[in-house]
Amino acid sequence: MHRRVAFIALAALAGVILLVWLLTAGDPQHVQDDLAPVEALPTPTPAPEQRVVLLFAGGDGLLHPELRSVPLPAEVHERIRVVMTELLSGPKNSQQLAPVIPYPAAVEAIFVDQQGNAFVDLTAPPQPLSGSSTELLLAYGVVDSIILNCPEVTAVQILFGGHEVPTLTGHLDLSKPLVLNKRFIAAS
Amino acid sequence: MRRKLTLLLIVMAAAGNWIAAQDLDRSVEFHFEGRAIVVPKFGPKVELLPVLELVGAEAKYSLSAGTYGVVLGEHVIQFSVGHKVMLVNGNLQDAREAPVASPGGVAASLSFLERSLLSPLGFRLEQIPLGYRVERGARFADPVSIRPAVADFGVTTTLVLTLSRSTPAAVADIEAGKISVRFEGATPHLDGSTPFRSRRVLSLTSREQTIEVSLAPGIGLLSWHTLEGPPRVTMELGPARATPTPAPQRAPVVIPSGPRPIVIDPGHGGDDIGAESGSGLMEKEITLSLARRLARVLEARGYRVRLTRDGDQSRALTDRTALANRLEALAFVSLHANAFTASSVSGAETYYMSIDEASDADAAAMADLENRAGTASDGRSPLDLILWDLAQVEVLNESAQLALSVQQRLNSQLGGRDRGVRQAPFVVLTGATMPAILVEVGFLSNSSEADRLAQPDYQQKLAETIAAGIEDFVRR
Repeated sequence: MHRRVAFIALAALAGVILLVWLLTAGDPQHVQDDLAPVEALPTPTPAPEQRVVLLFAGGDGLLHPELRSVPLPAEVHERIRVVMTELLSGPKNSQQLAPVIPYPAAVEAIFVDQQGNAFVDLTAPPQPLSGSSTELLLAYGVVDSIILNCPEVTAVQILFGGHEVPTLTGHLDLSKPLVLNKRFIAAS
Repeated sequence: MRRKLTLLLIVMAAAGNWIAAQDLDRSVEFHFEGRAIVVPKFGPKVELLPVLELVGAEAKYSLSAGTYGVVLGEHVIQFSVGHKVMLVNGNLQDAREAPVASPGGVAASLSFLERSLLSPLGFRLEQIPLGYRVERGARFADPVSIRPAVADFGVTTTLVLTLSRSTPAAVADIEAGKISVRFEGATPHLDGSTPFRSRRVLSLTSREQTIEVSLAPGIGLLSWHTLEGPPRVTMELGPARATPTPAPQRAPVVIPSGPRPIVIDPGHGGDDIGAESGSGLMEKEITLSLARRLARVLEARGYRVRLTRDGDQSRALTDRTALANRLEALAFVSLHANAFTASSVSGAETYYMSIDEASDADAAAMADLENRAGTASDGRSPLDLILWDLAQVEVLNESAQLALSVQQRLNSQLGGRDRGVRQAPFVVLTGATMPAILVEVGFLSNSSEADRLAQPDYQQKLAETIAAGIEDFVRR
């Protein structure tokens, strides 16, 4: 009888411990919601400053180059990231120019394959864009700025919101990487 | 009292079992070639990096790229947290699931782990009592994108399938009028964005690991070979040498009769309104109205005209070009109205396809034909090959001429700002086998130009001007 009581008491204690654990452990389905962010790599040594050429939209509906000196890393992903950061920050030397991406965008991810094709994933437009000029300047502003500053990159495909898109405003073929096209850069 | 204690025991035993089950659901074992690891599991998702490390893959997170890079031998995979799209051995793929951030770096479902990571690396998962064993040999065939290009010659046709990566392939006759191209360890994905026109190749269909090619009656496989740089399979098709079974009945091939039509394409339509002016004028309405006027003007001058849409309907861009190809059109003219963030921009411009943006498949086909021009021995002369090559260049040259003719008329008769003739890889011009242009008649984002475009008189003048440009080209 004493052994039975002792067993019941032990079981009750175990039950209380388990109950407390159960209440504090949280729902396993939601673990990912409060996870720590991906740990950053150690900060590399500062890259040397180099001149980059960035393309911005002019009031004539064409691309206009702006030269800027920035620390430019050698590693291709980091280099593309720097070029895109500068491009997204907009023109600095002229009030006549505007960013080629006409909405607040960020670079979500960058892929580069062994053939020199870069895939740059941008935030999707908050609302549909229109016009072939809007599309052409966005696409070639990004494509040409990357290719002109990253010798390893031969073509660039722009993704939006993590998706491959056939076209952005119904004109330009964005389903495959685009090569350098200087036809939309205004003659100096 | 005793009954209560017994009840409590039963409840606690049940709770214990449930908790034990939860414990099992929080981790899973992976075994690979004598080694075993326990990997944290969150509901249906598992930590990915320990499993990749187990099979010997090097997985690194790039802060600048925002992606994980996985390397094992010649295989390279890049994927990122929160994105379904990933790069697998150089091919962009839809992973159908976005990996999530986790304490160990990144987690995803077992399906993602096997289909999107382990399979491209050459592994598969086999379930065992407490988890999974990683085995060599992928369960899911790695996809390979295929771009077809077809060229008809005198009595033979060359079909070139350009592959996104090097893949062993074998071509065989299935039955009369049908051949199969089987890819070893790869699922072929046909790229339908490059429509082709051929008298002898009726259709291409992908099924599991093969592509079936349907041929016109009496046509069979003469020879085939695989080539690299870029990787491709080329097939020579022509009069069947022997017909083992009667050719199946097929729908008759539609051969256009009468004069070749001019195909006018009113841009956008249906849910796709295109650009919109500040006053609510929609591009799809302008282009349709203009296309109808242009059709009437051309018909009055004796031309046969077809519209790709004659109402407010959605039409796939590739269908518009395909219609022109099917009708063997004299010319293809796509009408659009432009928009830009700077409202000061105005004027008309005309586009045609750029030669350096011509489809890879065409380029591969041309390269293939060039490579073998001196060695053709199947009834097709090297002259045929050169003529085919020149024909491709000729279509682009003619498109440039048509664009120039229309733009010159727009400049001289409308007096607006000349934005010139430009080249761009527009979807609706891709794959056109006739002179093809896209005319941007003006900017709806410019209020005064939008007001002009809304006026019937101005639309009529535009239609007559574009018609004059087309006629200049036809009669040159």
